[in-house]
Amino acid sequence: MLVRRISQFFIVYGAGIAFLLALKSILGLSDYVIPGPLEIWSTGLAVVNGYLYDVLNTLGVAMIGQILSIIMAFSIGTAARKSSWLGSFIKAAAYNIQAYPIVAVAPIIFILLGDGFTSRLIIAAMICYFPLLLSVVSIMSEPITSIEHFYLATGRMRWQLEIKIRAFENIRKLTTVISGSATLAMAGTIVAEFIAANAGIGHAIRIALYQSDLSRILAALFLIGIFLSLYQGTLEWMGEKIIKKWVIVDQEELP
Amino acid sequence: MKKNIMYLFFILFVSCTIFAVAMASPIRAEESLNYRLKWLFNASVTGDILAEDQNLFTDEGLDVTVKAGGPERDAIRELEMGYAAFGVASADQVIRARAKGAPVVVIAQLFQINPLQWICKSSKPAIDTVKDLRGRTVGITYGGNDETIMKTLLARAGIKENELTLSSVRYDYTPFYMDKIEVWPVYKNAQGIIIGEKLRKEGEDIRFLNPADHGVQFVANSVVTSEKMMKERPDTVARFKKALLKGWHMAMEPANQDLALSILQKYDKNTPGDLQEKQLISTRELVWPDRSVEIGRMDVKAWQQTEQIMLEQGVIKSEVKIEAALMIP
Repeated sequence: MLVRRISQFFIVYGAGIAFLLALKSILGLSDYVIPGPLEIWSTGLAVVNGYLYDVLNTLGVAMIGQILSIIMAFSIGTAARKSSWLGSFIKAAAYNIQAYPIVAVAPIIFILLGDGFTSRLIIAAMICYFPLLLSVVSIMSEPITSIEHFYLATGRMRWQLEIKIRAFENIRKLTTVISGSATLAMAGTIVAEFIAANAGIGHAIRIALYQSDLSRILAALFLIGIFLSLYQGTLEWMGEKIIKKWVIVDQEELP
Repeated sequence: MKKNIMYLFFILFVSCTIFAVAMASPIRAEESLNYRLKWLFNASVTGDILAEDQNLFTDEGLDVTVKAGGPERDAIRELEMGYAAFGVASADQVIRARAKGAPVVVIAQLFQINPLQWICKSSKPAIDTVKDLRGRTVGITYGGNDETIMKTLLARAGIKENELTLSSVRYDYTPFYMDKIEVWPVYKNAQGIIIGEKLRKEGEDIRFLNPADHGVQFVANSVVTSEKMMKERPDTVARFKKALLKGWHMAMEPANQDLALSILQKYDKNTPGDLQEKQLISTRELVWPDRSVEIGRMDVKAWQQTEQIMLEQGVIKSEVKIEAALMIP
């Protein structure tokens, strides 16, 4: 799974670079607009150590932000699964807050909390959390009538059981949503760093943009892609493990 | 039904793509000339917008559209891609681009004094020499030309970076207001005026640290075009330059201040008129500090020093001989 993800990333990245170089060649553009392959390579080698640290820094914040988002989204999402006033209120609030452009909200967060770790974490969690919440709410509010009916009819249904049934029946959807949210967390962290932080790969990209250095940006994108593929691949692998374990446990419990 | 909807979406997508490509096509630049500014419409571009508003380009037989710039806009790239025929770029951008083989030339230097300076509160200890920065917290934009300028100032004054605190800054001035950062990089004629006004209302006064006063001359915004344009359409370039500099001359002439302000208000509705007036006066001091010298004059020595600074700071790897890119009549 990991190897497939990485190889897919190499194909996409390679195709992107090939497209840029073809454009450069066809339009006769200078290295200022699109750097040549040698410059991309030499810049990549020159910045790899620093950028590696920056990407790991960003990934660390993104992972913590994603974990926070998952915890919050599952807590609030399961609480809001009923079509009660609270449920519809949480959904409406999530849709509204999600619609706010983060570039407008981020500066306020940086003013209040400074340009350190906390601000990056909050913005990463914000970008990751709301889509995750809406997915969890929509998945968990869908009744599994064929199973739930029995417990409801016999009066044995409890909220814990309801959550368990719905989570179990939708485990594949939930693991997909979680692994997909990794991209959002990473993108959120990079956006935060780009806007105002003083660390991470987003900050490095900001500096490269100030210096109109596309080869540095390409190097940064390469490392972001590699590590994001690794992270997502790991999440998918963990998801598969959990699914297998649940299914096996369930089958063993069957009479 | 589902298939038809899919077809409809496909046709819509293809139409939008063709429309977007056609709108962005370099061919349009051949028909009408685009002039890409470096920043948004504000007092720093008064001459440019006055030339457009008063039909000075039209008088020269040119159809010029003045386009606002922004943080992610790069006029030099747009010249090469054919999206613009003329543009405004800072000297460091030009030198960096030339170092990478970009065929860009400079036809006029708009600012004779670089507006990029450092602001500090008058209540804080004065900065009479660069050595007074020792022990202070100084803001810089990492990757920006203010980083290059400040590091040159420090290097030439023999100050090591660990003798002061360099702190990364962006567009939010709260750390400056809260005295967390004492010395902050600003464009003197733009943010410098706004911050100064805010502080004055609080009973504070301000001072500026101008690197040029300490021997560091770093050229700011200039008008650029492509070598191809210069070679193939020298007459168009000459007419554009004539109209543009006439616009700047009119905008900087104190007798035309009301006209310049009314145009400025038309293009930049978000800045109060009284602030715009102060910004315009400040811009005049930077663009036309010496009335005996024509607006747009190219200060070759300052360009050479800018290149030298960029070499010293490792921003460029080898010299580009920037004087070759300055189109001095």
